[in-house]
This record gives sequence, C-alpha cells and structure tokens, in this order.
Amino acid sequence: MTSSESGLGVGASLRRKEDARFLNGQGRYVGDITRPGMLEVAFLRSPVAHARLRSVTKPAGAESKVFTIDDFPGVGTIRANSALPGFRISEQPVLAKDKLRHVGETIAACVADSRAAAEDLAALCELDYETLPAVFDMRTATLPETALVHDHWSMNAFLETRRDDDVSGLDAIAAAKVTRTLKTSRQSMAPLEGRGVLAEWDSRLEQMIVTTSTQMPHVTKSGLADCLGLDEGQVRIISPDVGGGFGYKGILLPEEVVCASLARRLGRPVRWIEDRFEQLSASANCREHHYILTAWADKDGKLLGAECEAIVDAGAYSSYPFGACLEAAQIGSILPGPYVLPLLRCHTVSACTNKPPILPYRGVARTGVCYAMETTLDALARKLGITAEAIRLVNLVPPEAMPHRNLVGKVFDSGDYPESLRRAVKAIDIPAVRKRQAAGETVGVGFATFCEQGAHGTSVYHAWGIPFVPGYEQSHVRLSPDGVLEVRVGVHSHGQGMETTLSQVANEVLGIHPSKVRVVHGDTALTPYSTGTWGSRAGVMAGGAVAEACRQLSVRIAAIGAALLQVSKDDVVVEDGKVRRKDTDSSVSIADVARTWYRAPQNLPRDVDKGGLEITAGYRPDPDTGTHSYAAHAVIARVDTDTGEVVLEDYVIVEDGGKLLNPMIVDGQVLGGLAQGIGTALYEEMPYDEMGQPLAGTLADYLLPGSSDVPDARLEHMETLSPWTTFGQKGIGESGAIGPPGAIINAINDALASIGAEVMDLPATPERVLAAIHLAKSGKQ
Amino acid sequence: MSRISISLTVNGETKEVQTEPREHLADLLRGTLLLTGTHIGCEHGVCGACTIEIDGVPARSCITYAGACDGATVRTIEGFDDDDVMAALREAFAREHALQCGYCTPGMLVAARDVVLRLPDADEARVREEMAGNLCRCTGYRGIVRAVLSVLAERKKGA
Amino acid sequence: MKPAAFEYARPKDWSDALQLVADGARPGTGTQSLGPLLNLRLAQPETIADLRHLPDYAGVTVAGDVLRIGAGTTHAAIEDGIVPGRVGAIMAAVARRIAYRPVRNRGTIGGSLAHADPAADWVAVLPALGGTAIALGPKGERRIPLAGFVLGIFETALAEGELLRAVEVPVLPESARWGHWKFCRKVGEFSKATACLLRVEDAAPRAVLAALDGPPLVIEDARALVADPTGEAARVVGEVEGLTPWRSAVAQAALRHAVEAAT
Repeated sequence: MTSSESGLGVGASLRRKEDARFLNGQGRYVGDITRPGMLEVAFLRSPVAHARLRSVTKPAGAESKVFTIDDFPGVGTIRANSALPGFRISEQPVLAKDKLRHVGETIAACVADSRAAAEDLAALCELDYETLPAVFDMRTATLPETALVHDHWSMNAFLETRRDDDVSGLDAIAAAKVTRTLKTSRQSMAPLEGRGVLAEWDSRLEQMIVTTSTQMPHVTKSGLADCLGLDEGQVRIISPDVGGGFGYKGILLPEEVVCASLARRLGRPVRWIEDRFEQLSASANCREHHYILTAWADKDGKLLGAECEAIVDAGAYSSYPFGACLEAAQIGSILPGPYVLPLLRCHTVSACTNKPPILPYRGVARTGVCYAMETTLDALARKLGITAEAIRLVNLVPPEAMPHRNLVGKVFDSGDYPESLRRAVKAIDIPAVRKRQAAGETVGVGFATFCEQGAHGTSVYHAWGIPFVPGYEQSHVRLSPDGVLEVRVGVHSHGQGMETTLSQVANEVLGIHPSKVRVVHGDTALTPYSTGTWGSRAGVMAGGAVAEACRQLSVRIAAIGAALLQVSKDDVVVEDGKVRRKDTDSSVSIADVARTWYRAPQNLPRDVDKGGLEITAGYRPDPDTGTHSYAAHAVIARVDTDTGEVVLEDYVIVEDGGKLLNPMIVDGQVLGGLAQGIGTALYEEMPYDEMGQPLAGTLADYLLPGSSDVPDARLEHMETLSPWTTFGQKGIGESGAIGPPGAIINAINDALASIGAEVMDLPATPERVLAAIHLAKSGKQ
Repeated sequence: MSRISISLTVNGETKEVQTEPREHLADLLRGTLLLTGTHIGCEHGVCGACTIEIDGVPARSCITYAGACDGATVRTIEGFDDDDVMAALREAFAREHALQCGYCTPGMLVAARDVVLRLPDADEARVREEMAGNLCRCTGYRGIVRAVLSVLAERKKGA
Repeated sequence: MKPAAFEYARPKDWSDALQLVADGARPGTGTQSLGPLLNLRLAQPETIADLRHLPDYAGVTVAGDVLRIGAGTTHAAIEDGIVPGRVGAIMAAVARRIAYRPVRNRGTIGGSLAHADPAADWVAVLPALGGTAIALGPKGERRIPLAGFVLGIFETALAEGELLRAVEVPVLPESARWGHWKFCRKVGEFSKATACLLRVEDAAPRAVLAALDGPPLVIEDARALVADPTGEAARVVGEVEGLTPWRSAVAQAALRHAVEAAT
C-alpha cells in the first residue's frame, strides 16, 4: 500500500492538524502574549502627507516615556535597493527625522503600562512642521513641477523599465486595435489580525528576541539585525500564530525596529499591537496600478502585439525586502499572460508618492495585469464581433507547445490552458445569459484566463532586481527517541495549513502517521533559514525540502532497520512507518529504529551514518523558473441600472495546480483568494484626497467582502503534473485572487454592452458603474 | 485616572476585577483574565472577531465597556466545552475547512451557534445574511456557510 | 486606538440620570454607535451615564391606540417581536436589517435615535410611522414629533439636559400598507439612501426619504408620489442639495421601490 492509498499522504484531503487549537480559542497570536514588566507602545504619527518636520515637543513631565529618532542614534534606516539600473534609493527612517512623507508615518514612540495611557502621551506631544504640497496622484507624480518626496531625487520615480519591440507596423496589418485606460485602486490587504511586535532583550544570550506577526521570520531577522547594528545571531524572531498574511506581513516594519530599540534601551519587554485604524491609515498598502494598454489582433482575434504604459504607485519608501519596484518591474514580463504574444512594447514607472509604501499583495502585479489584459481582450473581441471564448482560445498557449518559452523568456512547465477555458465555458450557462439579454436584462457573462508563476527562484527574481533573491529551501527533520518526527521549516504557515500538508509529505515518504509528525515553524532559533512564505512558493519549496530530508532520513532508517532485521539494507523498504523486509512480512517500526539510535546504540550496525537521525536537506526545483498553475474563471453578473449595483449570480473556476498536496486545503486557498479578488473587483478601495489624507479609517469605510457578498463558487480541478517539482505540485496560493477582477468586469461590460457602457476602473462600485452607464447614454444622445 | 471594581461571571466563575471605565470588555477578558480566545479585529464593531456571549446573547466585546458589564454574565470561546451545539459546530468547521488562520474563528463560532439556536429553519441565503457580521479574510466563507448549514440539518434530523 | 479616559456612572433612577446629564455626562446605553467613536477618540466624554438599568427604560406598553416603546428596547427585541400588531411586524422587518445581530442585542432604539446618524434606520422609519419622541427633562416629559427630531448629523431636537425616554407610535390597522427600501452594498452597512411609505385607508400616504447626510425628509402627503413615483421621486430628490449624481439616482430608486413595496 502506498501512502496516498492509505489516505494520509500527498493527495489526501486530510483534516487540518491546526484546527483544534483555533476552534477552542487556544491559538496563540502576538497580542495574546505578555511578559512581566512589559510596557505598551503607542506611536505618534504624522497627521499630514508631506511636511518638513521642525520639532517634536514631548509632554512635560513625561519626557522619559517619549522617544524620537534622536534617542536612538545608532539605529539605521530601512533600505531595499533594486539591482536594476536607474533605481533611486530611499531611506525609510524608523522614526521621522526632518521630513514627513506620508500620513501615519512614525514620529515618536510613547511607552506606558497600558496602550490607552501610551496613546494619552502621544496625544499630548506637540508637532511643529511646515506643510508641503502632497504628491497624491501617481499619474502626475513624475511631472517636473511636482514637489519632490525625496529632496535629492530628480523626479518622483523609483525606477523606469522599458521593453522596446517595434510595434509601429501593426496598425497597417491589424484587423482590430483597441486602447484602454484602466486603473486599479489602492487597497489594504487587511488580514483580520494586524501586525504586532513584542520585543525583549535577553541579557544572558545577548540576544534581541522579537515575537512578531510576520510571514517571513528569517528575512525579518536579517533586516532587523542590520538596522540595529547587531550580528544576525543576536536576533531571534518568533512568529507565533499569525492571523492572515497575504503579503501584508512580509515587510520589516519601522515599528519592529523601534520596539527592539526600546526594549534594549529600557531593559524591559515592550509591545506594540497595530490597530485597525493604523493598519488602514498608516501602514503599507497595495495594488494601485494605472495602465494605458493597446492591443492589436487579426480578424480571428489572434494577438499581433501589445503596447503598455504602466504606472504603479509605490508610495514614499522602498520597503524591505521586496522594494518599491517588484510590481512595476514585472509588469512587462507578465503581460503576455497565458497567451502567445508576438510583440510587446512596455514602459513602466514605479512612482514615488506621499503614501505608505506599497507591498506585494496576493497575486502581486498579476491581478492588475490580468485585469488590464483580460478587459482589453474582451474589448478586442467586441470590436471584432467574436466571442470572449473565441479570442482566448486562439491565443492561449496550446498543450502541444509545453514546455513553452514565451517572448519575454518565461517558461511554462505543463498544462492544457485551452481545456481549462473549455471546461469553464461548459460549466457556466451562457445560453441562459444570452436569452435574458435578449429579453432586455442587464446580465452578462465574463471570463478571465491566466497563469500564475509560483515558486520561481533565483533566475527569475535576480532578473527582477529584488534585493532578497530566493535560492534553495531547507528543511530539518529529526526522528525523536519515541519515533515522533519533528519537521522544521523556515517558511511560516498562517492559514495555509502547512502543519498538515508537510505532515502529509513526511507521511508520503516515510509512512509515519501524520499525527506523529510535528511541524515546527515560526522561530528562527529552531528552523533553517528561509526567505519565507510568499510568491506561492511554500508548497513547492518547503514540500520539496521536507520530502528530500525525509528521503535522506529514510536511507539511514533503512540501514539501522536492516541491521535489526539482520538483513542487508538493500533487502528492506521503509513504508507505513516501518522498515520491512522485502521478502517477508517481518519488520521493525521506525520508532524501534529511533530507540536503537538513541538508547541502544550497542545494536547499531558498525557502518551506521554518524549523522544519526537528524538531517538538514536542501531543495530547489530544476529548472527554477517556477511552476505555472493556471485557471479559467467564469462569472455571471447582473447589473441594476438604477443604482449601479452588481450582483454575482454564479462563479466557476477551473484550476490546474498540478498535484494537489491536500485538495481540501487547495480549495480553501482558491476560494479565499476568490473572495479577495471579489473585494478588488467590487468593494475595496483606499481613497486619498488631494492633501494625501487616507479616507477610509474603519472597516465600515474600507469594505471587505462578507458572507453574503461571495457566491457559492464551483471549483473544478485539472491535475497536470509539473515535470520539475517533487510530486508535480504547482504553486497555487495566490491564484484565486488573480482572475476575479478581469472576469467580473468583463461580465459587467457584457451586461452593459447593449447600452454601450464599459467600466474601466476598479473597484466597480455602484457609483462607477452608474457613471459608466450615464456616460454611454449621454454619448448616444 | 479612575479605576473601578466590577464583578462579572465569566464562563461560570464569578470574578472581581479592577479596571478603568474606558477599558472594553475584550481587553479586560484578554489582558486581566487571560482569556485570549476572544480576538480583536477592528474595535469598531464591524468585523465580529470579538463576538462573545453577554447575558446569554452574542455581543461585540470591543464596543462594550467594563463598567457596563458590572453584574453581567459572560461566556467566551473558552466556556463552551460542554455545549452540544458548539461541539457540532467545531466538528463541522473542521470537516468543511471553515477556518484557515483561525483569527476570526472564535467570534465566528459564537455567532454561528446563535444562528443555529435562533433560526432552526435558516436556508443558505439566511445563513449568509446572518453571518455577514463576522468577517473572514481567508476562507471565502463557503466552508463556514456549509458548516452552519450542516449543523442545522443535523439538528433537524435529530429533532 | 483606545478611548480617552472617562468616568462611568450608573444612575439608579431617572432623577439621578437627569442630574448626571445636567452635570455634563453623555448618556450611553448599548454604546454600539458611541463605542466606535470612543475607540477612535472622536468622542471624548468626561462621563458616560449608563441608562440601561433605569426602570421602564426597555419594553413596550400599549395604551389605547398608542404603543409606547421604551428607549432602551434593543433592536433584537424588536426583531423578535416585542412590539405587537402591524407596527410590530413592520418594525421587526426593519430591525432585522440593522447592523448585525450581536450589535442588535445591545443597540437600542432610543440610543440610535439620540445618536442621530442620518443613515440610521429608526431615524427614517419612525417618522414614517407617525412616531413621537418622549423626552424627559428637569421639568418633566415633553413630546417631540419624530418627523422633526433629527435636525442634522448627530443633532437632535432634544434640549440640553434632556433624555430620550421612549417613543410612541400609533397602532396601525392590519390593512396598513408599508414600503421600506434602503441601499446598502453589504449586509449591515449604513444606508446610502432610505425611503419609507405608509399607506393607511382614509388618510394621505406618508413618505420619508432619509440617509442623505441630513435630516430625514418627511412628505406628510405623498399622494403625488404614489400617483407618479418616477416623476415625483425625481422632483423630490432634485430639491435635495449637494447630492452626487449617483446618490441622487439611488435616492430616487429608493422612493420608487418604497412605493412599489407598499402597493
């Protein structure tokens, strides 16, 4: 019996091991942890978007409880420099020094026995500053007369990138050309738990121990050590249960550096827990893109080329580790999407504005790029008089071309892209929609097809210039004397269920029951270094590393087991938690092997591997250009032309994530991503006014989709294995959030086609939809 | 700064606690009574993570202040161990993959238990409406809705 | 953010409560509307007088053809049918769509009215039902028609030192027709436009348009609206100042839908 047949290994929808503690209120998040003598921190934050800071006056009598940057002379700034040529360097002070560059920027830290009392102190501080014009619009940020966010720069741009294929001849040969101007809104990733930091200095170990809500503890450790001037061994990061990440918990925070500095200076543990107002108004945001996209096609809809002017609002600082340019710099490389695109001309700008830094949110740039490409494709189809399905089918990379290298050098590993669309077309009731349209209803159907590069490694990120390039991933496995397997990984699980799936991987290789596998993560002192959980990489990378470590351990277990069975190691197999003789049923358990190593070494074979039952193994897929999961989304949307309200009636996703390590968990990832994608498409928006003030400070203003806003989506899976990964699995964690805006806006535009209206900007709020309808109607008059 | 002394019954035990009037019940439960299963998600009454039972009905502990709870009976996620409906919901939540990061889960369960007991005939649309006051950023709600519906169905069959 | 410091007081009786308010205390009941403002430090009262334990503050009494609903009656109690008859049925349906059940369990009808958020539900519905606010001041009770109760954002006709003690709503015949429509993108969200229409035999239909950032607009004689919903909605909404085109469109839709529902 193989492990998957036992229903416990790779491919099993095993219930999650982490659920019991969460269901009983026993999860342990940063905010649940206290220390004796702990002080609470509240930050005095910038009330304005752009100003020259003249002075901060501490409250009389409380000077010793309020700290500005002058109180931390040795603390460095946060930097994340792109390796791409032309990058302009920003230095993010952990507490503002002489300039304020976005609302909510940290200015002073106030400590007290309670958070409320610390906030009282912050309210008593006095600020003297000279307000400067706010750079709030990325489209005008780079104009010459605009105020400079960083005084020594020549323009408000971190970076520009270009790809210059010659598209000048396409007008002459194309049957259709369309240009669309499209915008996605600035968003907050809004995990239910915000950030939070508890810092304490261990004088015995001379170590800064920082418990923090992060999805990449090791990278945070490196960044923190650098800012604090400590060596990396002097920083230990513990990331306990983390209440959702989505990219939000992937940067080094000024608050982390300040809390650590305070803990050192005060000799007491200090804690800061981000509240929702801080998260929405002061902390990093995501997703704000602007596109002018032109596409040319022949009469069948086959793409001849595309030209794109893209701007990403990267905010005021290049945040560590991803930097300010990750999104814009990859737009050119992901614009072709899953299609065969012969020519691409693309110019991108990472604009610098007086807003919080931008962070890669689930889907990163793909959500915006997919939105731009998919809506533009539909516009082409409408112009050519062909269907949305038809234009995609002629352009999708065909299965016989796999593996396929596209014009920008991306290598697609495997899959049948057109088949995913055909299945989605079959699953959604297009004839019913057409019938209702004929009867005058404003209802429409929309599609989006895309592929998602996941677990891409050194070769890809190096080219994108990000300062922290991922390489190999390690896992450490240790067989305990009682036969329990400890699996230590440097990635972090914060909802992805990796305590379960990695147990399944171990079970797949060693046959140890998942309940006897303990997955340890979230502590840099206990786990191998890792670039962390992001980029849809953990299932492939940590899954591969755990499998490799277990495989190597299996060889050592087999050798000891064979000795106990008094046969050659070639005559045994390790399976089902046992070492079994191939020729008979006699066996010893893995627990027996462990006991022998630890407690009865007299019984070990003479040539036993002295490394024992602990192994650290590394893994990298080969090639490391990434897996490509792909999907077709199909949605039916109804539009109320009186109010502009959009109702999603049906939603179908046909997804190929290669081998699914745990199908239940993969479904959960896709459905969760879908809800976030619906948020991007219809609800979520962090508006800024002309003073650079954020206008949504609560979840009553920043609307997250609720249970009645998300349809009961239908999911279908294809399972084309990736030829490059351990089990054929592909990264799929972000996929669900990529397709919805394109599919939904296409459905809305299909519904409005009879009116001639088209929605361009996200989210498609009732106000925007109605404005599009009114515009079309007034144009006709 | 004024401090007050209040008495409240928490998960069956009477507690006398010193607090400030401005402290909200969620902070009191978490900080003073170390009942950290009640989570704080927004402190504006919107997200539902802090939902607990006050005097027998679900309420937002982040906008209910300490003084107002003097004499109240409170039940948190830690206080449902002998409750059949909660046991059924926990089982259903695990089976339907109705949680990921776990942060919304305690409040979600308290709200769901109320729906099950108060609206035995609720259909999917009603469950979605009634659960809309508890935000989940991870699951997309399908598992949550299915879990609640499955417990409703089990109880109907058992009735 | 945590609230600025405040004192907590729990008055034993109404004269105690009036004294507290006279001394500057802010009345609080469920703090379901006040709480978010406290937690953002947008409201910084010195003292909160918790009215919830006052005698007769919650509950419904019937006197002849008038229902008297204690200001401390929760939305949940109304949702569950504490108000009898046709009025109760109307109010239960409205209550069900106020915020979320855990909020309705502590939020009260009087607290919501006195808070006077223009987008709140009772602010729109009670004037349509012909309700009256019963205010209690140092000199005793005073009756304020709810049609003129909310004067603006967070502004009511309550005088300094007055408390909202109850609301009175006339009993309606079972034949009364009622339409209520509000625009919320999400369940429990504050309305962006609300309209109500009450039709009782032998009386002019009464309509209310609310949630437009100001006091509710009460149309005591809405016969024209019933006769020509589209035209009259456009005319009525057209007279409201400061609406964006979208808000105007939604407000008109609200009036049309309310008429349709009451037909």
